[in-house]
Amino acid sequence: MTEETTTGQVTLEQPGRTAALVLDRACVAYGDVPALEELDGVVHPGEAVALIGPNGAGKSTLIKAILGLVPVVRGRIEVLGTTPARARREVAYVPQADTLDPDFPVSVEQVVMMGRYRKIGWLRRPSAGDRAEVAAALERVGLAGRARDRFGTLSGGQRQRVLLARAIAARPRLLLLDEPFNGVDAVSQHALLEAMAALKEQGTAVVISTHDLAIAHLACEEVCLLNRHQYGFGPTESVLTPERLRAAYGGQALELRGDRVIVTRT
Amino acid sequence: MILTDMSWFDSTVHRAMTEAALVGALGGLVGVLVIVRRLPFFTMALTHATFPGVVIATLLGIDLYLGGGLFGLLIVLAIVAFSRARGQDLTAATGIALSGGFALGVVLVSAQDGFSKDLTHYTVGDILAVSTADLTSTLVVAVAVVIVLAALGKELLFSAFDPVGASAAGLPTLVLDFILLAVIEVTVVVTVPALGAILAVALLVGPAATARLLTDRLALLFPISAVIGVGCGLAGVWLSTRWDIAAGASIALFVGFVFGLAFLGSAVRGRLRSPAETTRHPVALEAVNDAGSS
Repeated sequence: MTEETTTGQVTLEQPGRTAALVLDRACVAYGDVPALEELDGVVHPGEAVALIGPNGAGKSTLIKAILGLVPVVRGRIEVLGTTPARARREVAYVPQADTLDPDFPVSVEQVVMMGRYRKIGWLRRPSAGDRAEVAAALERVGLAGRARDRFGTLSGGQRQRVLLARAIAARPRLLLLDEPFNGVDAVSQHALLEAMAALKEQGTAVVISTHDLAIAHLACEEVCLLNRHQYGFGPTESVLTPERLRAAYGGQALELRGDRVIVTRT
Repeated sequence: MILTDMSWFDSTVHRAMTEAALVGALGGLVGVLVIVRRLPFFTMALTHATFPGVVIATLLGIDLYLGGGLFGLLIVLAIVAFSRARGQDLTAATGIALSGGFALGVVLVSAQDGFSKDLTHYTVGDILAVSTADLTSTLVVAVAVVIVLAALGKELLFSAFDPVGASAAGLPTLVLDFILLAVIEVTVVVTVPALGAILAVALLVGPAATARLLTDRLALLFPISAVIGVGCGLAGVWLSTRWDIAAGASIALFVGFVFGLAFLGSAVRGRLRSPAETTRHPVALEAVNDAGSS
């Protein structure tokens, strides 16, 4: 099950080349219920990894564990050379846009500014510099003209871009995205991919959970194939093979013409 | 300080006016948080739950605010505990706490022969009976709430809008939630003596809900809601003294009337949501793997 794995010990000691993310026989659990077992892999700065797996595979759980919101019970998860909780300051998280209340009276600008809150600190107000960061981040996702609009009035794809802008405004070294392409139109998908590519060029490591295997090919060098266990971690082409997808997806995978696999969500 | 100048506050109506303006402003401000966090039903349970606390405090001869506050806190803990029961959610637990708390208050009052105050005093309040000590309590709470909202505004906003994102960003969302509940709780405790256990929720929900119909801008919600709260409070007391009707009820009626006007206004301007908008778009069905072609 874990043929493709590499462990992180080698990279940890090299200064300036600290791995963004190291999974070392990591097991994650909610209380007594194990959610993920024996995960291994390394993500370096400037690299993107796709978390691929069926519903309930534990993709969101892994993201929460990388954020330090779900405990690692055995093995370890190391983020930017330290524990997930300590690294949080330099990690940004992009939730699924449709988990947020579209009626909430908050403007696009205010949402993106939330990415600056941690740097602004308690009891202080955003400075001109923070506002400039917000404007630049909105520019990066192609929504500079929508700053004053209410968040809920934007389309699903545009809201997703606003949430990415919020993450960009935080200037993270590790970016985590939970299903960013669900129900997203082509224009927004293109904008999201471009903004992510720019971040990678600046050395930000990216972790994307997605159902979309085409996106994994397009945006990520590496794939972590998951379903409670790890079914492979490594270069996209070598992990996303019909055999491994069938193994990970079980009954949910449907083979077409030998080299294509359609994965249906239930 | 104004409150030490007793001459103006010798008048029952003046005291009632001041109290109405204070709880109106306070309810208006805190109501914005209640509305955006979708907590009106919870707040209603809280107002009803302070009722037995106030009755018990009267029986024991301890401070009414303390009694109401402690009992409210007890009910919050009970709601959270009940809601963890299998197959239940917060709504069911809140409904039980609401009716249970209110029933306990009624039982306690009815069990007391010759109890000095009658039931309506607690259920619909008696704003014309407020003392300068009550006014001072309300003022202290109002100042404290304004300070907390000003100091923690952006963090409360983040954790209200996106709780997971806020904790991912390192904000202590549990602590922030507790602060929010504490703010609602103290507001309820100082509002209930004036408007009663049943009517207090009017000022904690109505002005903010009305303001929400008038603006999408968070920064404008607070002042608009506070102004509506103060306006309804003053108008209610004025109407009650002029026509000799119950003050708490006329304040609540004004709140409902203003909300109705705003609702009609937004219906006319076509700002109401169509049924189609309330449904979420279906999730994407499939993902296709083109191994090798991309």
